[in-house]
Amino acid sequence: MSGGANRLPERAGEWVDRARSVSFTFDGKSCQGLEGDTIASALAANDRWILSRSFKYRRPRGILTMAGQDANTLVQLPDEPNVLADTRAISDGLVVEGQNFDGSLENDRGAYMGLFSKFLPVGFYYKTFFRPRGAWKFWEPIVRARAGLGKINEKAHHGYYDKAYGWYDVAVIGGGPAGMAAAASAAKAGAEVLLVEENPHLGGSLAYARFDADGMESSKQLEALKADLGGVEIMTGAICNGWFEDNWLPVIKGNRLYKIRAKHVVLATGSIEQPMVFHNNDLPGIMQASAAQRLIRQYGVRPGKRAVVATANADGYAAALDLRQAGCEVAAILDLRAEPTNGAIVNAVRDHGIPVHAGSTAYEAVAAKGNRHITAVTSAKITGRGECGSGRDRFDCDLLCMATGYTPTHHLLSHAGGEVGYDGASEMFCVRSVPDGITVAGSLNGSYDLGATIAEGHYAGWSAAKAIGLKAGRQPRVPNDRGSLNRSHPWPIFPHPKGKDFIDYDEDLQVRDIQNAIREGYEHIELVKRYSTVGMGPSQGRHSALTSVRLTADETGQDIEVVGRTTSRPPFTAETFGVLAGRAFEPVRHTAMHHRHLELGAQMMPAGLWLRPAYYGTQDQKTACVEAEALNVRNNVGLIDVSTLGGLEVRGPDAAEFLNRMYTFAYLKQPVGRSRYLLLTDETGVIADDGVACRFGKNHFYVTATTGGVDNVYRSMLWRNAQWRLDVDVTNVTAAYAGVNIAGPKSRDVLAKLCTDVDLSPEAFPYMEIRTGTVAGIPARLMRVGFVGELGYEIHIPSGQGEALWDALMDAGRDDAIRPFGVEAQRMLRLEKGHIIISQDTDGLTIPHEADMAWAIGRKKPYFVGGRSIDIQVARGIERKLVGFEIADPAVPVPEECHLTVRGEEIVGRVTSAVRSPSLGKTVGLAYVAPDQSEPGTEFDIKIDGGRIIKGQVVKLPFFDADNARQEL
Amino acid sequence: MSDAVQTATSALRRSFHYRDLEAAGARFQPVADAAVAWVYGDDAGNEQTRARTLGIADLSPLPRTGFKGRDIGPWLAKQSVTVGEASNRAYPCGKGSLAAKLAPTEVLLLGALDGSDPLPGALNDAWTDDAGLCFPVPRRDASFWFTITGKMASSMFAKICGVDLREKSFDNHAIAQTSVARSNTIIIRDDLGAVPAFHMLGDSASAGYMWMCLNDAMDEFDGGPVGLEAILALRK
Repeated sequence: MSGGANRLPERAGEWVDRARSVSFTFDGKSCQGLEGDTIASALAANDRWILSRSFKYRRPRGILTMAGQDANTLVQLPDEPNVLADTRAISDGLVVEGQNFDGSLENDRGAYMGLFSKFLPVGFYYKTFFRPRGAWKFWEPIVRARAGLGKINEKAHHGYYDKAYGWYDVAVIGGGPAGMAAAASAAKAGAEVLLVEENPHLGGSLAYARFDADGMESSKQLEALKADLGGVEIMTGAICNGWFEDNWLPVIKGNRLYKIRAKHVVLATGSIEQPMVFHNNDLPGIMQASAAQRLIRQYGVRPGKRAVVATANADGYAAALDLRQAGCEVAAILDLRAEPTNGAIVNAVRDHGIPVHAGSTAYEAVAAKGNRHITAVTSAKITGRGECGSGRDRFDCDLLCMATGYTPTHHLLSHAGGEVGYDGASEMFCVRSVPDGITVAGSLNGSYDLGATIAEGHYAGWSAAKAIGLKAGRQPRVPNDRGSLNRSHPWPIFPHPKGKDFIDYDEDLQVRDIQNAIREGYEHIELVKRYSTVGMGPSQGRHSALTSVRLTADETGQDIEVVGRTTSRPPFTAETFGVLAGRAFEPVRHTAMHHRHLELGAQMMPAGLWLRPAYYGTQDQKTACVEAEALNVRNNVGLIDVSTLGGLEVRGPDAAEFLNRMYTFAYLKQPVGRSRYLLLTDETGVIADDGVACRFGKNHFYVTATTGGVDNVYRSMLWRNAQWRLDVDVTNVTAAYAGVNIAGPKSRDVLAKLCTDVDLSPEAFPYMEIRTGTVAGIPARLMRVGFVGELGYEIHIPSGQGEALWDALMDAGRDDAIRPFGVEAQRMLRLEKGHIIISQDTDGLTIPHEADMAWAIGRKKPYFVGGRSIDIQVARGIERKLVGFEIADPAVPVPEECHLTVRGEEIVGRVTSAVRSPSLGKTVGLAYVAPDQSEPGTEFDIKIDGGRIIKGQVVKLPFFDADNARQEL
Repeated sequence: MSDAVQTATSALRRSFHYRDLEAAGARFQPVADAAVAWVYGDDAGNEQTRARTLGIADLSPLPRTGFKGRDIGPWLAKQSVTVGEASNRAYPCGKGSLAAKLAPTEVLLLGALDGSDPLPGALNDAWTDDAGLCFPVPRRDASFWFTITGKMASSMFAKICGVDLREKSFDNHAIAQTSVARSNTIIIRDDLGAVPAFHMLGDSASAGYMWMCLNDAMDEFDGGPVGLEAILALRK
């Protein structure tokens, strides 16, 4: 199985499976690859080299790194934009499209933009589109349509993402020679080790680079290192995207984010090969030497037929040997150095008769029509830093490999606070300092010699084990010469009069753009970055940072060390929102009777995390259902699930004193067997919650709280108790008790059928008293309450038996026309009684006096939370008052919550609740009005939808059953 | 155990989310005063194999209780229940019960897995108002009780809980009071024979939510529901 015209014969260690072919489409045309191919490698195997169009000038772009480090390979998948084609594996049926073009990838109608590059200088956007005022609104859609990346499919299927935690002694980031050696040494010392490698296979440079003349060393060392990884947990195809405090590492593998915590971290993240700068250095067919080697060794793909290698180190010569071995003619090696070093690899190149041109550089690349590929390279003799002589040699070729230097992959180290400087000897960025808890190794730390790299890896693993207190044995030795010299050329930058000498492929930035930015006064490297946008594209300066720093130093006359670098921040690579979000955990709480409500046709509504029945019936019959439920409570008997109400046990000798301080009312003398209303205010005197205190024993109160407020009340109680140090303990038992309120004139009759151990007569069990007993054989707390204004009992029972109680009550009440009622009917009934709902009829500023709740303040006690604040505000005078109002005329619309109450142009308050009462035959409600409007009989204005003004008349509360005879029945 | 065919609702005390168990194919047996999911299929051997790899059993209907307050130590001692000094540790007691010390002033008592130990009920019956500042906490109704078993349990937990529950880090009878899938939870390691096992207790009103979250997290490891029968078999 060939898998493409450029597919090489099978070789050991490659990443593709020759036995399995894979079909996919790219830009509408079908393509065959092999299992293990990336999109880019499969296309290269089929001699297809254009992967994308550049951001600004729409120039064709192809493979640059084959390592997921550049924006040249960004492609569009149906549900995912900006996918790196050089790292994303192909799969059968995969549909891949190019992005950012008009027409087709091969023939982009927008490619003419390159002709105007002289008219699009650096800072063009900042200077051009803001005049006249408002012009940007006109230009923005045009600019955005012409320049950009992929498109989001808003109808994409929601993927399954999740997260997982991981705990290790040592986390090694980077599965190259240094990382593998470090992991092995740490594990041998007894550490629990995680080795993270972004590629699908371990190896790092061992998986593509050539370290000796005959090309066997890398595979030999790779096998030896892999064999030494016993006991190491290996995570391949996973990228560590940042470093956070205390060695917290986000590692992304597929759709999962691993949240790794390690006692010690070894960073062996390697280095990034840097491109040269010359005219047309971005054409397809021009790539890093390491990219060509990756194609050959990892994917078995010949990267070209005739190549030129431009280099300044032995690695370029090694690449030339690989190319030759892969059947690619090497037309020339252009060595930027005047005097190339000798060595076995260089000698082998010479032995093979490959022409070497010392002191020469690639001066310009010759493009095929439409810049679709390189067709030749013109070389020139280097006469000075960045300067060339006038003589030119031309080499026809379809491949140019660049090998002129490296920069360390320092990003994670920088996240951790490590310092990176510039080493003039090696002409590379280098690590200056490493924080505690981290060790660095490999080419990140300037080790390029393979033996030294592996030795340093072992040393790093040993150091990590020692740092976490393990007996790590004898200290490994690291050679002094780690091979960093003669790897990077100090100035592989050759500006061209015609430009197109790109230093940042992402943003189509050329040498003159950086120079002009500095000449315009943006001299600091951070300003150069922001003004020119260098390093701000998808590859985040991986290939442009070094060159832009060098140019800045040159233009400003500063030392590179002084110019410094821009700040590296997480994430290291682009990450999806899905990965960050993970699995959506949305807790939901169900009462014990939840499914009974559903079976009865309830429409459920959220109440905090709970779901409660709003009403029973279809949505189109809502009003009728709610009115029928309410009338049934008034006329017969209704049953409502109140399990969501908060329940708190307050116990101890100081329980009454505790409540006395927490709440506004007085509780010291509350008799056992009775309940009392609770009103909670915060430190500012604002109403925070309400409920009922049921005293079941001298030292025992059962306190209810609102559904949404109980957690805050409980937290507040614990906090206060910690300060007051009273002899009391508090427990939140909300979920432990299911609760129902059986209400209506027939409620006693129904309850009596199931409750025989409590005397339910009004004399024995009057209003506001509480009892314990059994209902339907279930132990129960019973409370005579009157929230809906009828004879009623709240029954609180163990939640595990809640459904059984509901069934029993519904059965027992059948002959009395019992029917369930929901929250909507309950709100209507309580409004008829003028009872407020905290946070509906109050807000974040309401003090008790404004809500006409001053009656709930115990005046004889010395203290309660918020008491002093209330006194101060009352002394100053309140500015609004909550009143009951009615609208008798049935033709007038029912105002809605938050409709404003106004006096002329002045807003004086708002409606908080309003309903057309079926029992009263008129609209009733609660509203805030000015204090001088609060007397019964006063009319005030309500501004409803459309600005219409209607009249409400203040009335005395309650609206219904003024003497409370029904609830105290 | 009775051989009579039972349903989830044949006892007053039933699982908080018994419909989920029925949907998964549970068959119920009376244990103590409740109906418990006993098996999920016809192949008990398969279920035991699953329990050794990754299983989840709903033991919510089984007896348990809790006590809280400053005077809890002396009162429990008076009831002949000995609990160690260390908090966040569980201590076997009674005839198969487990006393989980959540704090110096709070103990959660899980009854025997087969429901046979009378200790939880006896303690509830023994408690009176004169126990000082020591009072019962209705754990049987406040908290669901799931038991997660098997060698993959800690791997599954790593997906939804930030506490390291691996065997080497979280020893037998250790307790974590933490958040699982954004819900407050108590996790108690209590190995069954040689099989790692974790009792998990949380908000009873969220039982259905947590059951769904756990089963979802278990899918990756082919884990799923197991009945009490398989759990009891692990002890042998």
